[in-house]
Amino acid sequence: MGAQAHNEEVRKPKVKHDGPKRHIVAFIGSLVLTALAFIAVAYEAIPSGFTVPFIVALAFVQAFFQLYVWMHMDQKGHEFARISIFAGLFVIMMAIIVFIFWVWI
Amino acid sequence: MANHHAHAVLPDEPEKATLEGKNKVLGFWLFLGGETVLFGSLFATFIALRDQANGGPTSQALFDMNLVAVATLLLLTSSMTSVMATLALHKKDLKKIQLWLTITVILGLGFLALEIYEFVHYVNEGLKMSTSAFSSAFYTLVGFHGAHVAFGICWIILLQLSATKKGLTVVTAPKFYLASLYWHFIDVVWVFIFTVVYLMGMIGGKVG
Repeated sequence: MGAQAHNEEVRKPKVKHDGPKRHIVAFIGSLVLTALAFIAVAYEAIPSGFTVPFIVALAFVQAFFQLYVWMHMDQKGHEFARISIFAGLFVIMMAIIVFIFWVWI
Repeated sequence: MANHHAHAVLPDEPEKATLEGKNKVLGFWLFLGGETVLFGSLFATFIALRDQANGGPTSQALFDMNLVAVATLLLLTSSMTSVMATLALHKKDLKKIQLWLTITVILGLGFLALEIYEFVHYVNEGLKMSTSAFSSAFYTLVGFHGAHVAFGICWIILLQLSATKKGLTVVTAPKFYLASLYWHFIDVVWVFIFTVVYLMGMIGGKVG
């Protein structure tokens, strides 16, 4: 058993796993993006017509940050992950555009 | 001991070491694609109907920025702690996994408590499910997200309980990995909810 534990230590990992650093960077990045969006709305920091596109853009940046770093979509072997997420996004975008321009009450 | 033996020979990426594990991850991403469409259609409905208050309370009158900010912070941090659990999984450290997941669950419960408080408050202000097109779309979208949070909390707790018996193996590792993916996904959806529902609701600008 002792030998086995020793083996475990010296065995080099086949897959390189980076430490928590980039995840913490992603976390801080998300915090900053979130804070920016809240500040833009709370203090009306930017021209009012530009606020909505601005915060929506921030949301997309943050979402992709999290998808790629936290959900590992940047790693190899995630082709199907990309296909399903982007196919889903495509359907969403169609639905949103259709609903905005074709629904009237 | 069997458990210790399994730990000693556990491969580097235990969640993808077996075909079953790989298939679970693949299947889960397809599921997430479906979830994207589900939430997307709720978002589309909300965006189309968010100004139709039907004489009831409007989003500008109801929403409180501090509450949303705290909820966002809770969920974002919980997403961070669940990624720490995945890192611990790659280090094959079950104790750390349990610790980070416990923190995740506590933060998730805090988020859920805030949301329940918020909904009760809105109902008292006169915003019921059937008050207006806005209220129906709002409760459906945000409520669906809240239900996902509640489901995720139950899922993670059950996983933690079963792991105390089964330990960390190539069978249990994919389950932890998927629960963490699911939790991140919930957080990604919340990013759009706080932007589209709350922040845009407080500006009151109309898209399109």
